Amino acid sequence: MTHRSTDAGAVITGLGTFTPLGRGAAETFDALCHGKSGLRRPPTGHPLDGSVDVAGIAPDIEAREVLPPSEGRLVDRYALMALAAADDALADAGLVVGRDVDPHRVAVIVSSGAGGLSTYEEQALARAQRGPTAVSPYLLPGMLPNMAAARIAIKHGIRGWSSAIATACAAGAHAVAEAARLIRYGEADVVVCGGAEAPLNPTSALAFAHARALAHGWGDDPEAASRPFDRRRNGFVLAEGAGVLVVERVGHADARGAAGYADLLGWGATTDAYRPTAPRPDGDGAAHSMRGALAKSGLSPQDVGYINAHGTATKLGDVAETKAVRAVFGDHAPAISSTKSMTGHLLGGSGAVEAAISALAISRGVLPPTHNLDEVDPDCELDHVRGEARAQRVEAAISNSFAFGGHNVSLLLSTASSRKKR
Amino acid sequence: MSAEVEKFIIEALQNMNYDVSDVTGETPLGPAGLDLESLSVAEIAIQVEDTYGVKFEEDEMETVALLSVSGLVKEIVERASAAATAG
Repeated sequence: MTHRSTDAGAVITGLGTFTPLGRGAAETFDALCHGKSGLRRPPTGHPLDGSVDVAGIAPDIEAREVLPPSEGRLVDRYALMALAAADDALADAGLVVGRDVDPHRVAVIVSSGAGGLSTYEEQALARAQRGPTAVSPYLLPGMLPNMAAARIAIKHGIRGWSSAIATACAAGAHAVAEAARLIRYGEADVVVCGGAEAPLNPTSALAFAHARALAHGWGDDPEAASRPFDRRRNGFVLAEGAGVLVVERVGHADARGAAGYADLLGWGATTDAYRPTAPRPDGDGAAHSMRGALAKSGLSPQDVGYINAHGTATKLGDVAETKAVRAVFGDHAPAISSTKSMTGHLLGGSGAVEAAISALAISRGVLPPTHNLDEVDPDCELDHVRGEARAQRVEAAISNSFAFGGHNVSLLLSTASSRKKR
Repeated sequence: MSAEVEKFIIEALQNMNYDVSDVTGETPLGPAGLDLESLSVAEIAIQVEDTYGVKFEEDEMETVALLSVSGLVKEIVERASAAATAG
């Protein structure tokens, strides 16, 4: 290692995830390491019943579980899941805003690709059926993409920087990268960051299906549908959920005796400037993103022991990412896996959930596998963790997120430099 | 009609998750009583329009927010009967 984080570096002290594998980052990580899939056929009565034959469905959540009764009206599921993940991440960090940190020194950046489209769809249908007065004034504060961040701020009294970054499937990763920046530039001592998505409505699902992006033909075996890097892969599995991380200045964490999972040491962000929905076939945008994260962190490629791949299981995407990894790491590419094989693709939520998974991989010394990777596509040959989890201590890990629109983000995490470690 | 409209208003408040157990006709909609936020007042207005065909204009919303429950009921009933007479 050529670089150590300083007092001014960023350390992850709290994790919250709400995914098809359940609520709780540690539980989700354990499930992933045991090869447990969260994918299933939408049950009778689910909005997607009849639209797609497999999805990643997160647990039920009621507004009253995360909001006071009078504030929960028409709040979309994406925001409710984000609130749950944020509550859990702050509790995990043992941090109460106002008690442990000046509210003006806390930021919140929680993103979403599209915000509350399910709620919008319901209201649009109600308007078509019942007329203009069916549209509620609560629609906008219930569904806008900034409202997860805003409601987390209101609930926890966060008074510093707040925003949401709507970069589709890179939205969660962009939020985490931005958090690292705010810490690095002294704009905040604590950043609550992450992403959430609730795309399981028929209109969104059909749009992805008609774009030929979704895995198909796996109705008889839904758990086999998401198979990144596998020869038989044919698309991603649409999923919902949220991930939130508490990122803290190392000096701040040490001063209050908080333990870190991992440092957020570097980030890289680039743009393909190529096509709206296809990556550059040579993976050049992704490669530059990973190189950017390495440069920012001061690490060398050989310091990286694990890559949590974007790996959605689309034909083009997996090959482009493989090329990018080879371009950056040469013949000594680190171990790689795609946990989307078990969570499905949480779109704007995925980057944050996978950053949390990467942090746990570093702190636990265990790398979760790619499920369903039975026969590696010859164009995707890498050091795949597959079959079962691999016990391996790693100093640093990269988490990749690439999006419709050509947005690429790579986050680089390393062993925690806070005095106490998780 | 007043009793029916009052019941309608209280049910609408209940659906918005306001605690209506102590609400009477005298309860103010504003800070001294239910403390409705502006969107809740707007939501009630749109439901009243939907059910009774009575419309509150944008510049009336602040005045509406200062009424009591009975005051609002009275407004709705008067406007509904005016509309019926005119119609």
